Amino acid sequence: APAAKMAALSGGAAPWRRGWLPALQFVRRGSKAVTRHWKAMHFQRQKLMAVTEYLAPRPAVPPRCLEAPRERIEEDNGYVRLLRRQVEEAFRDNRMIAVCQYNSMPGEDMVMMRHYLRKYNIEVKFVLNEIVRPVLSQTKYKNLLPLFVARNILLVSRETKAKEMLRVLKGVPQINLLGACIDDTILSRQGVENFAKLPPLEAAQGQTVGSLALLPSQTSSLLQRSPAYLTALLDQHIRQLQDGKTGTPAEPGPAQSSGAH
Amino acid sequence: LSPGPGGVAVPRAGLKKLVMPPDYSGVTFPERTKLKFMDKVPAVPKVRREPRRLRDIRGPSREATDFTQGQYGILALGGGYLHWGHFEMIRLTIGRGMDPKNMFAVWRVPPPTKTVTRKSLGHRMGGGKGPIDHYVTAVKSGRLVVEVGGRCEFEEVRPFLTQVAKKLPFPAIPVSRDGLQEMRREEEEKKLNNQNPWTFERIVTANMLGMRKYLSPYDLRLKGRYWGKFFLKHRV
Repeated sequence: APAAKMAALSGGAAPWRRGWLPALQFVRRGSKAVTRHWKAMHFQRQKLMAVTEYLAPRPAVPPRCLEAPRERIEEDNGYVRLLRRQVEEAFRDNRMIAVCQYNSMPGEDMVMMRHYLRKYNIEVKFVLNEIVRPVLSQTKYKNLLPLFVARNILLVSRETKAKEMLRVLKGVPQINLLGACIDDTILSRQGVENFAKLPPLEAAQGQTVGSLALLPSQTSSLLQRSPAYLTALLDQHIRQLQDGKTGTPAEPGPAQSSGAH
Repeated sequence: LSPGPGGVAVPRAGLKKLVMPPDYSGVTFPERTKLKFMDKVPAVPKVRREPRRLRDIRGPSREATDFTQGQYGILALGGGYLHWGHFEMIRLTIGRGMDPKNMFAVWRVPPPTKTVTRKSLGHRMGGGKGPIDHYVTAVKSGRLVVEVGGRCEFEEVRPFLTQVAKKLPFPAIPVSRDGLQEMRREEEEKKLNNQNPWTFERIVTANMLGMRKYLSPYDLRLKGRYWGKFFLKHRV
């Protein structure tokens, strides 16, 4: 606060004569500047402090409504790279890959199921969705992406034994088949069941060969019909001759019949 | 856990991210890791009584505002005097809380040299200045009191530093190097993005509305952030 006005004294007596009063004077009264308690501020100072308070900026759209840019620094984790490589290998090496929903099972049931599947050379693989999804999106298996949501397991095998797999899975209610990729063809659950109902490969091959060979066999039988008829007649005649040998030999008989044709 | 568009975060178990342990290779330990004992009275006790000079409490600190040896410390957010009792409390609490093999602590405040006189109880005013009662050190706001460092994390050090900070005669907080930098950066940001066109500094330097009549000449320097020994953190 400013000290008592000295100017009043230097002005002389004239201003006082004119009836002039000095402006309000603030004498430092009471406590010192630095006190232990919170010193009461002059009201004008309080007003000044209230006016000059900090006003936070208020954007038009609150930041909570905007999606913040995800600053995710993708550190190339060696472990992640290893898992990705394993997934790629699994998809490359195996002919049959089945994706199943995995609900929590008791431990011994899990072990038994793995044992039965192992007998048919089917492996059970646990993969994390966050690793499989980027791997699949870059390969040709893009359409399998919707299956890799929530908890799932992979059943991979080099042979395509769908019937045995379905039989084992039927005995385990906690594992539900979602879809499969057999020999680079994506099948749904119904498709896998149909695939299992198909006859084995050799029988199917024999069936196709037979159906393909049907027409040529027909044409060959058509072509061979006249010589077959001729040989049948000749055989009949030989039999007649052999029967007639006991009776009267009729040699011009067959010559006449062959000349007639 | 990142919140989705609705604002709710769905917990999900993913791959475990294995973090490397922190690297403490560049840490040099001083000879004595524990805090030095501070005497109540300086080696040469003062004979002449000195005036009160409360301006050594007022305003921001000019010394010991940045870290030198350690990584974590106690920052004073107000002015005050530290006497021998405070020093002992700090020394013992930190000594109890820290591990002398892996951590070290260092004083950033000199031993008490300023004399404080006290008149005997129950006498009237007058009769001269009282005799010297005890010695104190003055601490201004923004000064570091102690520094702690070594092979430790902030989370390990924070409990006993907060314990000490609460017992000091002025408001204080435990800070790390990053925390202090963050505080300063936030202050600068606040100054820049303040939507209020009227700032204390502007009004005082231009003497708008004759405000300097009600303010001290020190307010030009203190700019409304300090009032007596108090530091007003919320002001810009």
